[in-house]
Amino acid sequence: MVFSSLLFLFLYLPVVLLIYYITPRKFRNLLLFIVNLIFYGWGEPVYVVLMIFSTAVDYTCGYFIAKYRETDKKKAKGFVLASVIINLSLLGFFKYAGFICDTLNFLPFLNIPSFQIPLPIGISFYTFQTMSYSIDVYRGDAPMQKNIITFGTYVSLFPQLIAGPIVRYKDVAYQLDHRKETLDDFTKGVKLFCVGLAKKVLIANQMGALWDSILATGQDNGWLGSWAGIIAYSFQIYFDFSGYSDMACGLGNMFGFEFLKNFNYPYISKSITEFWRRWHISLGTWFREYVYIPLGGNRKGIKRQIINLLIVWFLTGFWHGASFNFIFWGLYFGIILILEKFVLKKVLDKLPSFVLHIYSLIIIVFGWVIFYFTDLTQMGEFIVSMFSFGGIAFSHDALSIVISYLPLLIVACVASTPLFAKLYAKVQNKKFMWIFETLFCVGVLLLCTASLVNQSYNPFLYFRF
Amino acid sequence: MKKFLKALPAIIFSFFIALMLILFIALPKASYSETEKRYLAQAPKFTFDSFFSGKFGEEFETYLCDHTAFRTTWVGLNAYYNLAVGNNGADGIYHCNNGYLINDPCDSSKLHSNIEVIKEFADKISTDTTVLIAPSTGYICSDVLPKNHREYHDDELFTDMESTLSSSAHFVDVREAFKKEYQDGKQIYYKTDHHWTSEGAYTAYKELSKELSYTPIDKSEYEITSYDGFYGTTYSSSGFWYTKPDTLEVWDNKANDGHIHIEIQDGADTIESDDMFFYSHLDESDMYPVFSDGNHPYTKITNNSKDASGKLLIIKDSFAHSLAPFIADHFEETVMLDMRYYKQSVSKFVEQENFDKVLVLYSIDNLATDTDIAWLE
Repeated sequence: MVFSSLLFLFLYLPVVLLIYYITPRKFRNLLLFIVNLIFYGWGEPVYVVLMIFSTAVDYTCGYFIAKYRETDKKKAKGFVLASVIINLSLLGFFKYAGFICDTLNFLPFLNIPSFQIPLPIGISFYTFQTMSYSIDVYRGDAPMQKNIITFGTYVSLFPQLIAGPIVRYKDVAYQLDHRKETLDDFTKGVKLFCVGLAKKVLIANQMGALWDSILATGQDNGWLGSWAGIIAYSFQIYFDFSGYSDMACGLGNMFGFEFLKNFNYPYISKSITEFWRRWHISLGTWFREYVYIPLGGNRKGIKRQIINLLIVWFLTGFWHGASFNFIFWGLYFGIILILEKFVLKKVLDKLPSFVLHIYSLIIIVFGWVIFYFTDLTQMGEFIVSMFSFGGIAFSHDALSIVISYLPLLIVACVASTPLFAKLYAKVQNKKFMWIFETLFCVGVLLLCTASLVNQSYNPFLYFRF
Repeated sequence: MKKFLKALPAIIFSFFIALMLILFIALPKASYSETEKRYLAQAPKFTFDSFFSGKFGEEFETYLCDHTAFRTTWVGLNAYYNLAVGNNGADGIYHCNNGYLINDPCDSSKLHSNIEVIKEFADKISTDTTVLIAPSTGYICSDVLPKNHREYHDDELFTDMESTLSSSAHFVDVREAFKKEYQDGKQIYYKTDHHWTSEGAYTAYKELSKELSYTPIDKSEYEITSYDGFYGTTYSSSGFWYTKPDTLEVWDNKANDGHIHIEIQDGADTIESDDMFFYSHLDESDMYPVFSDGNHPYTKITNNSKDASGKLLIIKDSFAHSLAPFIADHFEETVMLDMRYYKQSVSKFVEQENFDKVLVLYSIDNLATDTDIAWLE
């Protein structure tokens, strides 16, 4: 189930909210666990088994890690390893097995029958979350969760289940048992949810339609036409993903949770290093804490640090999808980050900020080309079209499409900066602010419902993660 | 009070989602949507099999979407919102001047191969073949289009079709005649429907006279009756509910009264009529089926008046429905085949039935996207 659907908005959410708030506090985790499984299993009920399996395994591992971590380090370590291996195996089997077979089949002497398993939604997110639990307990960063239902609630928590943020256990450990739902938090959650819904339905979907129309013209769009298309895609992916995170955080608030921010205006970055501190923060944090630092980080010399960075960025890329282009995409950023750290730093420090903005944006947008095209031939053709400066700038149709979406493109540009947030912070406590907040929420609800009913365009991008 | 106002967004939000849920449960469920011209999803049956395969979940979601309260109002809101933010044509239909709702340029990638199919067919049969392709509304009525619109490629496509067919069939190009009539203030296409009007069909009928060897009947000979309140296909798929309805004209040649007999075969059903028009459809919002009773695989019009002679086969889409009444005045027998439903060998049929002429009649949008004419052989 996805948030931006009529099923979620007008059936699942009202029913779950109602039952949740009439349920006595001590049963609320159990209730959440049940409704999480319904949410998760709606499309593929069979995979609920996977979720329960994951819960049971990591609960057991956590139990033994806590038991042995003071007395028998070796055993404790063994259980951490078991948890990591099981989680990675799940991920490996369901997400990467098909890809690995297909790749191995390039070898002349191999002929493994190719197979496709439907990817269990959110598996990339919840396996990472459960690993964080075992590791946090081992490190003493979080207490063990004694109640398996509460633990299951964490693993399957529906707001962030299918598209993040990746909530580390230690960040919500306390909230799982002691959260207090308040009207203020609920209101905050509703407002944040509306912001996220607007980002997803009113901006991301429209930018996606623009990008698809550009791709569908089936003719030379002109080099500027190609750039316009990939810029639209850049907006689509940002507003889709960050909109989803906002909805997740907002829903969390409605149920008394507080998740960490996942996006912090990534497109205003002045370097790629900064971009990755602002983009999908929970994923970057996860890789830093559970891969980069354990590998030795920057404490073992420059050579080792570079290797560590490449490993992390290979994995980051690969995490985004089982296809070569995602690996290239990760390594592309890895290499640029290494260059920025060791070579470009001095140059970048001296350049005026508008140059740095342009530098970063070009690299980011170009990165989305690598990210989008799973077919490397098509990717090559598209890159050629972007740099065919000798040809036309815009074909008639590409220009016409871009003009149709121009007002929304401008809104997307402005909404990528903190301008609205800054304005809001200024007037937030004004007396009549409730009028504007209410109008905003009503407007978003009406327009998003209209758009969802129209169903002309509501793809969901993250099933592949 | 202050606390209440601060929480107002949350209160309205909760109220709204709860209301939508209650309405979904409480409102009666229609089984057919008039505006969408399709049957709506029915409540899926719950079985363990359908549940565990995920099928139930999927079907339930479709059911919920199909029966959301005030569905058409939402679709309208969405259409006018897109228009307001400058995205005219967001759902494939331009909101144009003078009340026209016009399909955006079609994807023409299949057009050439479909024309090749027609060429091969024309080469194969010995009967004299004529091809008429109706240009797109946006191309003819280009003056009413919004300033920013995608290009209609009719000119290139017509050149290609003409040269492909030149040695195999007569290609009747109506572009100039249509443009001239349109500039003279005649309405060639409906404003809320993708079809040509009776005026448009009559223009095509005149243009076909040389190839099909008849003398067209003068406009003054027809008894023309107008019917208001016609909302066609572009209207119902656009969501622009505030558009004015069209007027549909029936041009009846009284001279053929008593001479006409229509026989329609559709599956096991046969419909027979002695009237050229199917007036019962005028009670519906989409009145176009008044011509030839809408889509059927096989339609035969026989005319026993002394001026009628010869046998004509029309391989067609629905544009022929309003053209056939004009042409049928000149042929003893006019047969229409719809390739979407007719799956037998047409060339054999032509031989068996000894047709004197074959007319292939499509609109460019249909032919460019059609996947059934490939079966023509």
